[in-house]
Parts: sequence; C-alpha cells; structure tokens
Amino acid sequence: MAIRVTFWGVRGSIPTPGPTTVRYGGNTACLELRFGAQEKLIIIDAGSGIRELAGEILKKDLKKGPIDTKIFLTHTHWDHIMGFPFFTPIYMKGAKLEVYGPVSFEDEGLDSVVGGQLQYRYFPVNMGQLEADIQYIRLMELTKDLGDGIRMTTKYLNHPITVLGYRFEYQGKIFCTAYDHEPYRNIFDVPKDDPSYVEAAVTEGAQAAKEENEKVQEFFRGADLLVHDTQYTQKEYEAGKRGWGHSSFEWAIKSAHKAGVKRLILFHHDPDRSDDKLEELYGGYLAKIKGKTKMVVALAKEGETIEV
Amino acid sequence: MNDKAQTIAAIKNYISRMPSLPIAWSKIQEISKNPRATPADLNQVISLDPVLMGRVMKLINSAYYGLNTQITSLVRAIIMLGVNTVKNLALSTAVLGGLSNKSNFQALNNDGFWRHSLCVGVAAKLIAIKRRRDPKQLEEYFVSGLLHDIGKIPLNNKLSTEYVQALALTDKEHLPLYITEERTMEVNHCEVGRLIVNNWNLGVAMEDVVFFHHFLDSYPGENRDVLLTVAAANYFANAYQIGFSGDRYPESLPPSVYEELKITRDYFDEVESKVNGEIEKAKIFLQVAHQ
Repeated sequence: MAIRVTFWGVRGSIPTPGPTTVRYGGNTACLELRFGAQEKLIIIDAGSGIRELAGEILKKDLKKGPIDTKIFLTHTHWDHIMGFPFFTPIYMKGAKLEVYGPVSFEDEGLDSVVGGQLQYRYFPVNMGQLEADIQYIRLMELTKDLGDGIRMTTKYLNHPITVLGYRFEYQGKIFCTAYDHEPYRNIFDVPKDDPSYVEAAVTEGAQAAKEENEKVQEFFRGADLLVHDTQYTQKEYEAGKRGWGHSSFEWAIKSAHKAGVKRLILFHHDPDRSDDKLEELYGGYLAKIKGKTKMVVALAKEGETIEV
Repeated sequence: MNDKAQTIAAIKNYISRMPSLPIAWSKIQEISKNPRATPADLNQVISLDPVLMGRVMKLINSAYYGLNTQITSLVRAIIMLGVNTVKNLALSTAVLGGLSNKSNFQALNNDGFWRHSLCVGVAAKLIAIKRRRDPKQLEEYFVSGLLHDIGKIPLNNKLSTEYVQALALTDKEHLPLYITEERTMEVNHCEVGRLIVNNWNLGVAMEDVVFFHHFLDSYPGENRDVLLTVAAANYFANAYQIGFSGDRYPESLPPSVYEELKITRDYFDEVESKVNGEIEKAKIFLQVAHQ
C-alpha cells in the first residue's frame, strides 16, 4: 500500500443525520490520508467528520508521540471547517498542527476564518485557549515537497469562493481531490438579443472556459484515485443549480474517464439525497458506462477505506 | 538628485496611489451592490476605465493568486476567478479620483482623455479584427490601446502647471506633445507610462506599446503587431478628433505602417462610425448609474 484514504465525511453543505442517510453517512467532508508503512497522517478538510477522526487519531497515533499533522482545507465554506473546534488535538499541549488552505480576496487570514469559529458567541472555548501549536498557512497554486517522498500539487477550481484541488504523489501512486467544483462555463454566452450580448466576449469566454476545464483535467490526469464533486445530476444542475459551484455525476464521470483516472469516487452528496436515491442514481450511471470505460466508479461512503 | 530624478521620484510616488477615473466610479459601485449584475456588465465597466483595468489586471497577476500564466484578458479572469471575486477586486481598487482637482491648471480633462483612451482601445481592436488576428488576442489589443496614454495621468496631475505649459507649447510650435513634455519636464508620457505598466506588472507587450507608441522606428522587440496597431489607432483618434489627449499636432503615421498592417486611410472612415457608436454605448451604460 502506498496511500490509504479513509472517508470520515462525504456529505455536502450540512450534516444530515437520520435513517435515510445511515448507509452512506451524514457527516460533512473529511478525508484521512495515510502514507506508506509509517502511516504518515495528512487530513483533508475539517467538516463534521473530523470529530470521529480525532478519536481514531488519539487511539492510534498518540502512543507513538505527540500529534504532529497537517490539515489541508479545500476551502473555507462552513461545511468544510465546522468540525475544527471538535478536533480534540487542538486542545492538547505538545500537539503540532499546520492548517493550510486558500483565502478569498480581501477576506481575513486563514487563522481568523477557521479559528474564528472559536469565540464565545459561537462556542464555549476561545481561540486563545487552544493548547496545541497551530500554524495557519495560506496556499495558492503550487507544487510542494511535503517530505518523506510526498509531493503535493494544488490547483484552483471553480466555486463561488477560492477553492483548491489537491494532488498527492507518493511511491508512484496519485491521489487527487476535485471538490467543491463546478465546470468552468462561458458566463458571457447569452442570447443575441440580450442587452449584455457582446460577440467578442462570447467567443473568448468559450475558449477560456474550454481551456480552464482542460487544465482541471490535466490536474487529475492519470490519478489512481480521484474524489470528485458530484452533488447534482445533470438534470438538477441545468434546472437551477448553475453557478452554485458543484458538478454533476455526468460531468465528473466524463472528465475523469477522459483524463485516464483509474478509480473515481463520487463525493459531496447532496443533503437531500437519501441512501436509496443515491444507489438508484449510481446504478443508472453504472449501467450507462458499462463496457465503455475501464475506470472503477464508486459512491463515497462514510467509514470506508480505499488503498492505492 | 537632479531635476529629472526628482520628477521621476515624485511620479513614482504618485503612481503607487493613483486613483481611477471618476467616469466609471459610480457604475462600479452600482454593479458591486447589484446581485443581478451580469458578467458582461462587470467586464464593461472595468474595460471603460484605463486605471481600473490596469489595477484589476495587476491584482489578478499578483503574487496573491500566484497564477502560473499571465492573464491579459478580463473575460478570462472573470471566468476563472468568478464574478464575485473580480467585483471585489474592482471595488477595492476603484479609488475615486480624476485627472485633476485643480481645475484652473487642468491641461487635460476627464471626459476628453477617457474618450481618447476608449477610442484607441476600440479602434485597435477593430483593426485587429479586420486583420483577422487570433480572437484570443483581441482583448490584448483593446487593453493596450486603452492604456497607451496612461502616463499622461501622473504628468497632468502631479506636474499640472508644467503640463499646461507643455500643451501651450504644442499649439505655439505645432509640435507633438511628447516632444513638448520633454522640453518642459524632461520626461515624456511614454516613460511615465512604462513606470506604471511595470508597477502594475502588465507584461512586456503592454509595456512595449506604452513606451514605443511614438518611437516606432526604434522598436526592436517582438510585439510589433500590437504596437503598430495601437499607433495607427492613436493616429486615427487624433486625426478624427475623437476625444482629446493633448495631441493637436501629432506626427503622421509613417506609410510603412499602413503597408505593414495592410490597411489604407480609407479604412479609418469605416472605423469612425463604429468607434463613435461604441463610445456612445459606453456613455449610456455609465450614465445609467446616475438615474
């Protein structure tokens, strides 16, 4: 095993506990990555799923010494940071945490955006009371050597605020995230009789959207495992979810297949999607792609572990 | 420090806090507050103000985003970064100002300068379209034209007395403005423009257009096509007196430029009505804010 990925939260937007989501899970985004025989820990996103991950870390890692890990946030929308105050290592003296993530223009620093949840009006503990050594580091598009042979590349994605996709390469294996993400589209493309129609902008916009989508595809090209936003069906997307910053199942499957992805995980389930409905949709997509791709496609499921 | 060095230092200081033109100010405010504003509205309002355009481009290409490739098109920037981000960029940088608040010493006025800048931007783009340049590059022709005289803003505002003298000298001796600028201030708007383009980090092509648009013969670089196109558009704006940027006696366009661009003087007649139409449209668009 080179990289082992465990899903602690797979839901989009808001936690959805209850009988209709019990099989796939109701916690929001949190992934645990373990690298190599030393099981080096990296966490992606601090949605509500990180609370249970914290318990697991205390059980497993604490005996090896103080907790020392990195959390990479895809972005700072609430469903991706809401679990942070419940990540118990932040209260532990000696624990060392590096929190990385993008910040949107003119927003406060990552420390205020993420750590700012810890103030009395929202939470009984104040940021200043945290015992761990926590560093907040703003990320842009880059390639970074994380040590121990782990190479990370980030890529801006398309969402109402700045979002980064992550690509980790380790021992010849590639793991990528592409959420929250909506395909780039030509927002200048309006009907000719619309007062805001400008031909040159329409032409250029089409080209720009196409090229930006190709760049995202290049970003996850050849991935052994890709976790992609699939909050909507194409029909739902077209019926009123354009510009909300999420992809359809159809788009994710098509672009992952084109990029030669080996295994695609459908992720960021809509809060209104029941387990039964998810499986029904999934069955439909599997039937459609049967025999047309070698790519393995699966639904993200809370508690499940995948190794590459 | 000698006189010229002092002048340059004062200009550099001014550039670091240069305001945008009041012409687009209220419109950008309106668009930023209006959740129904379209991407095209945003594109248009930024495109109509040379200072705002330059500053937004600077932010997009700054270390803040750390993008791997230089973005020279606002349309692409809006698609990549989203309407909200670009709105915020524009709003944060659209500091209300103007060519001058000392109206007694005003050599150039806002409306004339704005019309001239927009005319050169639109005409450069029309010439590029006629010559079937790559559609992806059209915006670069527009932006280069829009910004070609940007160096006049610090001169007009920071050295307003000398600038009035420079303009008077063009009338008296029938000289192009860049020559009388050098005589009165030891520096011309091309040099100042280059300082701005460098400060805004807008790339080599834009820098070449701004610096060489009156010195075509001595241009050694690779951006000849956009440079000559903007020079032709600039000549057209002055000759047809669309807007006013201080050049009542510009040098005529060398015949070799017409040959190289494969256009004739007649083509300018064709361009004139289109350019005027675009300026009127822009004017109406901007005035909506006041209603």
